[in-house]
Amino acid sequence: MERNINILFFLVINFISTITSYSQVSRVEVTTNSSGNFELHRNGIPYYIKGAGAKDHFDLLVNSGANSIRVWSTNNKSLLDSAYNHGLTVTLGLHVRPERSGMDYNDEYAVKGQIEFLKNEVLKYKDHPALLVWGIGNEVDLKYSNFKVWETIEILAKFIKEVDPNHPTMTVIAGVDPSKVFYIKKYCPSIDILGINVYGSIEKAGINLRKFNWDKPYIVSEWGVNGPFEARKTSWKAKIEPPNGLKADQRQRRYKDLIEKDKEICLGSYCFLWGQKQESTATWHGMFLSNGNPTEAVDVMQFCWTGKWPESRAPSIKDISLENVGWKKDHILAPSTQATLKIEFSKYNNTEVIVEYVLYPEAFSDKIGGDIQKSPDPLNFEILNQNDNELTFVTPKSKGAYRMFAFVKNKRGQSSVANIPFLVK
Amino acid sequence: MKLILKIFIVILSFCFLSCGKMRNVNLYEPSKSVSTFEKFPYKILFTESDENGLWGLKNNKCKHISFENTKNYIGKDHLYINWDASKCNYVAVGLKWSNYKVKNLEPIIESSAIELRVRIDSGEISNVPMFFVLSDYGGKQCRANINYLNLEGGKIDTVWRKILIPLQAFNYKKRDVNMSNIKELRLEFQRKGDLHIDNIRIVEHTHDFQKTKETSVKVFDTWPIKLGIGKEHWWGINTKYSSNLQFGESFKNESVLVDIKKSTKDDWNTFGFSPYGWKRVNISSIFSTSAIKFKIKADKIPKIQAFMFSYKGEKRMIQKILNNSNFINKGNGIYEAYLPLKSLIDFQKFRWDELKEIRFKILEEAHFEIGEFQLIEFRGNPKKPTQWKGI
Repeated sequence: MERNINILFFLVINFISTITSYSQVSRVEVTTNSSGNFELHRNGIPYYIKGAGAKDHFDLLVNSGANSIRVWSTNNKSLLDSAYNHGLTVTLGLHVRPERSGMDYNDEYAVKGQIEFLKNEVLKYKDHPALLVWGIGNEVDLKYSNFKVWETIEILAKFIKEVDPNHPTMTVIAGVDPSKVFYIKKYCPSIDILGINVYGSIEKAGINLRKFNWDKPYIVSEWGVNGPFEARKTSWKAKIEPPNGLKADQRQRRYKDLIEKDKEICLGSYCFLWGQKQESTATWHGMFLSNGNPTEAVDVMQFCWTGKWPESRAPSIKDISLENVGWKKDHILAPSTQATLKIEFSKYNNTEVIVEYVLYPEAFSDKIGGDIQKSPDPLNFEILNQNDNELTFVTPKSKGAYRMFAFVKNKRGQSSVANIPFLVK
Repeated sequence: MKLILKIFIVILSFCFLSCGKMRNVNLYEPSKSVSTFEKFPYKILFTESDENGLWGLKNNKCKHISFENTKNYIGKDHLYINWDASKCNYVAVGLKWSNYKVKNLEPIIESSAIELRVRIDSGEISNVPMFFVLSDYGGKQCRANINYLNLEGGKIDTVWRKILIPLQAFNYKKRDVNMSNIKELRLEFQRKGDLHIDNIRIVEHTHDFQKTKETSVKVFDTWPIKLGIGKEHWWGINTKYSSNLQFGESFKNESVLVDIKKSTKDDWNTFGFSPYGWKRVNISSIFSTSAIKFKIKADKIPKIQAFMFSYKGEKRMIQKILNNSNFINKGNGIYEAYLPLKSLIDFQKFRWDELKEIRFKILEEAHFEIGEFQLIEFRGNPKKPTQWKGI
């Protein structure tokens, strides 16, 4: 009887302490360790960010070894709640309107209105237990010409310092550049951490920050494979996307060799994108397909975060060609003619895979910086012959730019994808 | 005489008396904007559906519009829109605004605003992806969005909240919209949402905000110009990580002491600086007759490559590897270097009104000091940079 009472007492105390600790605000601070390296501490414990830009698939994210998500704005409180319920922290973005969206930083009315709105958002969220770091603005420097935007960033950072001593401030820039580092150092002294969105430029980001004399820590706030804006284009301006398998290798190397090794000033990273979005293609940055299936990039991140591959791995497309011409080249075909597309892929530990092909019109877009792009709808096309590695089809009869996608998935839906743009004329 | 005196006194008395009866008047005329606001005849844009003053009411996959007759703010019904712009390029509702009569907003721009009431069915939001667009009869459009400062209570919730869009907030100057010839107002919607809207009208409003001055640009139109003043405007020099490049002291202003050994495999062989405080430097009026001049203290001329970067443009980087023709030996180990801007490859494609950075890369083992950077007048042959008599 006494033993049962003791167990009950223990459970009650445990429950109460859990509830109490969940309702507490985390104390997060930037500090230096005995080696002189910068560290993020959460409630006094070193906290290395293993994060992703994510809005869903939190279960898989946690199971893959991540501990944090980054969101870009405050327009969805349920994301913070959900992250918290999954034991994830959140780098919460304050959406500072970039100049490229029409914001005029010489317009006192627009500037003050935005600041007051965002101050109010800070007050709303500052005590959320999932909050880790404030992300003040995302890529406000992209194609900008009015440097007054840094005044807004500083006003908000300074306000956060006044009302929320528990969470560090970060501003996020698109790529590393000496002028941006200068402006942030000089005009934003209340910024604690520099967030850098780096794709191709991740290769030299660490050394460049040192060359540009950035003397505070940084977080790789977005990283992944080279972006569409860095890709080679066909003669008809379609961007050439590498197959998933090559992108997976690139991700793994970048994490292991560049992010993880910079213990001195890097506080961690957020991979892009734990979800799906249209950016030139539907599969460029997203680590999931539009149907929700995870791609092999998810497996790579689990390996990066935990050092272990998942038991069930996605297949991996290593190469794709059209009419025996590789994916890096231009492909120009006549209307309504027979064409053959080939893929090479590794099955890993899958005994069976399903291969599918989908044709889309080319989605030309001049949007930049992650601005919203619309996805095209798939097109019907005639298949003459299909097996696991080869598709023979009839090209569209209408002239124009197209893109053929090949999807390979296992029984669990874990997928790999590759595509090849072609011109019918 | 007495009569004249009496008449004078009577007139004077009348004057005094009338002074006492004078009505108060302002020193100045009543403000023009107030009177013109009162005269402005088209103050009502929407109060209920009977006015037939809307277009774009046809429902499609991106918007569902209805007139709801419960919980109105004014009139017998109000506008309700539910939209999802993810599958459409354009979601909007237009207000014919007094049946497309020409509206002259110019006299009331400074004293008026568009006012409307909004609410949602549940919850609370403080931001709606919604734009207000004024179109003139020339087809030009200007835009404004909801500003937190003019959103009643800082939120939209289930009670009717007032939103003001000052006419001054529209970017009509930038878009060259003729505000004396306005045709209609459009409400444009982005992303997704739903909103009840009622009582759209023009009201008096004072807008106390200014446009601040442009401070991101520095224009140079004469020589000489000292370049790269202030160590904070330099990069590539960080002795914590490399001693290849350090600030020197041999020259006026900033200079760099270069010590690159052949065995060094790191890439600390490049430095750069802003011509002027990392502003967008405009030398477009003088670039064609300009050269960069600097000094080198060395035993021999080092092999260096010069770059110029711009903030904008198709060609954002131009470069040239300097050779002996760029240098004059001044004795005692001092060389003067001249780099005409027209000698940089593809200089015609460069945005000289958006100059960002001057950069140097040391191409081989070297030990020297470089500094005293200036932009000088140069009217000689760019291929013979040291032979112009003017230097």
